[in-house]
Amino acid sequence: MAVRILIVDDHSVVRSGLKSLLRERAEWEVIAEAEDGLEAVDKAGTLNPDVVVLDVSMPRMNGLAACRLIRQSSPDCEVLIVTQHDSAQMMREALACGARGYVVKANLARDLFAAVEAVSQHRGFVAATRETAGATSEVP
Amino acid sequence: MKLRILLADDHEVVRRGLCTLLQSHEGWEVCGEAKDGREAVDKARQLKPDVVVLDVGMPNLNGLAATRQLVQQDRRCKVIVLTITDSDQVIREALDAGARGFVLKSDAARDLVSAVEALQHDRMFFTPRVNDLVLAGFLEKGHGGSSNAVPNLPKLTPREREVIQLLAEGKSSKEVACVLNLSTKTAETHRSNIMRKLGFHSIRDLVVYAVKNNIIQVQVPEHPVTQSNDSAA
Repeated sequence: MAVRILIVDDHSVVRSGLKSLLRERAEWEVIAEAEDGLEAVDKAGTLNPDVVVLDVSMPRMNGLAACRLIRQSSPDCEVLIVTQHDSAQMMREALACGARGYVVKANLARDLFAAVEAVSQHRGFVAATRETAGATSEVP
Repeated sequence: MKLRILLADDHEVVRRGLCTLLQSHEGWEVCGEAKDGREAVDKARQLKPDVVVLDVGMPNLNGLAATRQLVQQDRRCKVIVLTITDSDQVIREALDAGARGFVLKSDAARDLVSAVEALQHDRMFFTPRVNDLVLAGFLEKGHGGSSNAVPNLPKLTPREREVIQLLAEGKSSKEVACVLNLSTKTAETHRSNIMRKLGFHSIRDLVVYAVKNNIIQVQVPEHPVTQSNDSAA
């Protein structure tokens, strides 16, 4: 069965790029896009995606606040944070908000497929940040 | 014949998005991609694109320095600068470097096609804010208004600006030498000249200077869990 994905980023060009990358996997389907956290919470509630690919810095409601709400209202829906913040602290905050995965935008080409695959199977995925400088890894 | 476009951005996801946007326009093709300014300059030399779309904040050689080199390399080169900010300083530097188009990244989906179309027809494309700035400069000085560009930077040679970016990104003199294909001694001489010209005594001063003058861009950490209205790029 296809993995149904909701893409959330305030930059249309980034949403388009993510969509183009995710389309390379036939078993993944981008079902909708949202341009801020509020719209993401709304669409996640309506469409019930398997995975939400969620930016952090967005107007109206940021990604971490949205993540918390999505996880509260749809516990089966997994959240993958995709952000420009290459920071261990931000990663910890994201995981504390209920995100299952964390990927830095600069490393998307390397990490995106593995991350979506992991979180769609309810496994964690944490990419190395500059500070942790360790290997990218899946976490339980 | 198709209009050939070279894209440069350090994020693959942005390049993909831009590529999708531009390729959907009939008669245009993305002939190459680069992940930093240095690669963009090299690829432009090889591919001779009609238009180059350059992000400002790229490692190794930023988009403004790359624009300067591209225009020096080929005066007919048409460059559109993509940026997350339309601060006066970035605008002035982009104009000074020879960019003919200026598009905010947040508005790229709306403006980039119009910008490429404008350059295709030998016109320029700027955001309303850039137009205002150019007009203000014109009215004040009776010309295009870019002669006043960036009071601190003209002291430095283009090569020294390249060295500043690399040092501010954390590279050692040896690594700078390697990137720029210089001897370590020459790189060290550039470094000493820069520190002397700017009156700096530490790399910390240099990094602050590079950030203030948009030679490098840094992410400002935020604490979004406690906020719901942050709209940082």
